[in-house]
Amino acid sequence: MTDDELGVMWTTLEPTAGQRRRIDARVFAWLDAHDTPLAAEWLGLFTATPVSAVGLVSASAVSVVVATPVLWLARALVFV
Amino acid sequence: MIAAALPSLVPACPLPSLFAVLSRDPGGGAEPLAEEAILRLVEEARSGDAEARRTLYVQHVDRVFRTVRGMLRSDADAEDVTQDAMLAVLTSLHRYTPRRDARFAAWVTTIAVHTARRRFRRRRPELTATGELPDTPDDGADPADALDRARQRAALLVALGELPEREREIVSLRYGAELNATEIGMAVGIEPATVRKMLERARTRLADRIEALLTPQGELL
Repeated sequence: MTDDELGVMWTTLEPTAGQRRRIDARVFAWLDAHDTPLAAEWLGLFTATPVSAVGLVSASAVSVVVATPVLWLARALVFV
Repeated sequence: MIAAALPSLVPACPLPSLFAVLSRDPGGGAEPLAEEAILRLVEEARSGDAEARRTLYVQHVDRVFRTVRGMLRSDADAEDVTQDAMLAVLTSLHRYTPRRDARFAAWVTTIAVHTARRRFRRRRPELTATGELPDTPDDGADPADALDRARQRAALLVALGELPEREREIVSLRYGAELNATEIGMAVGIEPATVRKMLERARTRLADRIEALLTPQGELL
């Protein structure tokens, strides 16, 4: 029996379709259960980073400064 | 209206290829990828790419199963060890360091060997289970061919069961995982020259025993 014949014979030890399905199902069920949960991904969006935090504060300040007189004007026009 | 719109929606996807995609076995085997492609997948999987992780799994799961099946005494044990080993691989990718003298498959197989040893360290070998036939025959498989393979499988498992544990490990790594002597040496912790000697001895014993177990017509004695 040659080396190649022995190699070919070893392919008979491959998993059957049913064995392979069971292994796949268990492995991916475990991985899916232990992957980052959705809630954690959402919380990740709110992680404070210096640049975006400064940007957010600046944008808020500008919008407050701009929005107040605009709203006052709009209200004045409506109720005239 | 929908029926009229369909041909314009799917002209780029001919029906035969659509059937091929839909009937593809998600748990089936895969064409082996080159080592560079495997290493790219490792990098992508490390950075959280789930598809890369799945491809790595598909590339290695059958190899791990046929390797540990040669080392263990039953299909059930091989299933459990394959599952544990693949989980260990996929959750430890950040620890993998590429080496010039060993492929990624060698690292995967080393984890499988350690998993098998750890799991069965205290268990005495039972009778080798060889009579298990495929639970789901492949569609279109020739029954005579399937019977031949079942006989070969049984003869191989009987012959493997008669080898000492270390030799069984080494031939499983050679023919199941298709590792070279250097990679086998790394997996089991011995020198490549010693691996070659042990491999030659084990191969001869295995081949002699299989030939004694099978008739020239391929039937099991």
